[in-house]
Amino acid sequence: MNFLLALLRRNFAADLAAAKLTAVRMVVQPAVYLFVFGHVVGGMLPAQSGYAAVMAPGMVAIAAVTGPFVTIGGSVISGYYFRTLEAWLLAPVSLGTLMAATVLGGMVNGLAGVGIVSVLVWLILGLAPQAPAFLVLTAAAGALLFSLFTLVVLLAPETPDKGQEVFSFLMMPMTFFGCTFYSYDMLEAPFNWLALLLPTTYIAEGLRAAYTPAAPHMDPSAVLAGLTVAAAILFPLASWAFRRRLGHFTW
Amino acid sequence: MAVSVDNATVAYPSGTRAVEGLSLHIRRGEIYGLLGLNGAGKTSLIKAVATLLRPTAGSIRVLGLDTRERPADIKRRIGVVPQENNLDTYLDVRRNLLFHCHYAGVAKKECAPRVEKWLALLGLEQKAGERVLHLSGGTKRKVMLAKAFLTDPELLILDEPSAGLDPEIRSLLWEQVREFRSSGGTVLLSTHYLEEAERLCNRVGVLHRGRLVAEEPAGGSVEAVFRRATGEAP
Repeated sequence: MNFLLALLRRNFAADLAAAKLTAVRMVVQPAVYLFVFGHVVGGMLPAQSGYAAVMAPGMVAIAAVTGPFVTIGGSVISGYYFRTLEAWLLAPVSLGTLMAATVLGGMVNGLAGVGIVSVLVWLILGLAPQAPAFLVLTAAAGALLFSLFTLVVLLAPETPDKGQEVFSFLMMPMTFFGCTFYSYDMLEAPFNWLALLLPTTYIAEGLRAAYTPAAPHMDPSAVLAGLTVAAAILFPLASWAFRRRLGHFTW
Repeated sequence: MAVSVDNATVAYPSGTRAVEGLSLHIRRGEIYGLLGLNGAGKTSLIKAVATLLRPTAGSIRVLGLDTRERPADIKRRIGVVPQENNLDTYLDVRRNLLFHCHYAGVAKKECAPRVEKWLALLGLEQKAGERVLHLSGGTKRKVMLAKAFLTDPELLILDEPSAGLDPEIRSLLWEQVREFRSSGGTVLLSTHYLEEAERLCNRVGVLHRGRLVAEEPAGGSVEAVFRRATGEAP
């Protein structure tokens, strides 16, 4: 437990050390997106389209999935180049604890981003979640999935810089085809089938269900099933990548 | 025994065997010097003793514990200065040391006094608030030394700790290592400096192509031991 808390405090200290960058990523960028796409573009569309209510949960979903990548990706990549991974591996904890602490760090950053963007959504678009508990559940599951996903992508390749390229390549389609800027019911075949393969779809649709239960969204039970299947696939993969790369540390 | 390496082989995923069938025993309270040319297997052996690499054959026991079965318990009792610095570049010197204490599970109230003591001992007070990213190589090395001593280890594992240090800091390191030994600690030291091995070590072992080819008390000429064992100049 001490190690988990220490690593969380270290992540917080690292974020503070890069406070300007952190503020731009966590506050300024989502605020600009919400203002332009939600307020300005949303205002140009017919009122019944309710585009602001469609895209705002998508922005919250993006915060949930990018936070883990920034925290875990930053730790793994700087840990590779500056060898801080080695310092953490020399801490008197098991590999399982180190993985739990790493994943928790990613989740906390993802949830912090969700909290900030939720406030921005309320301030800029006047929208508040109707089912806050479901928002927290979906956002936490999303942050967990992308913490595990980041570990797989960065630790499975020979070096994490190769993983970073793969991540950039995957992140774009996941965001654009994963129902972040539109809802699932707007899609037609074959894109609706493709979207079902992407975890971002379930996160964004779950957040839509939390924000506006009356508007079209994927059924919450389908959201939970999708998130559970994704976790069941990603958890063993992340554990395997973590143990393979860090159990016999050759970097 | 502080370290017992029995017929250990350490291999990399590429298949390269950095250490092969090596046996080595270090008594408690001893300073053991590990010598060898570049690529002899010193760093791989040191990483295996520090539990970072798993032996693919044979066994390694540190302070009576098997490195494969009890790595966390071993890490609680060792201090390590790896060949390359592993400081957290996002943090300043003081926070690097404080977080190192926290990771190691040192009681919270003990962390700050220990950190201040080692900052003073190594003359790092003026640098305490600076981010390590901006420090000189020698100063970073001093911070690494402070980290190794900070958790009151029973075994110090030093992989070329004095590489790149100026003579003044090097003698400070030697002083700290001697003091550590006089208080009952054990040291495994890898070095390229034969003078360092002669001055500090009780015994030296020479590694060549992953094998221990000589092991002698460090009293005589270490250079002669090295030449005899490897057939090459150090």
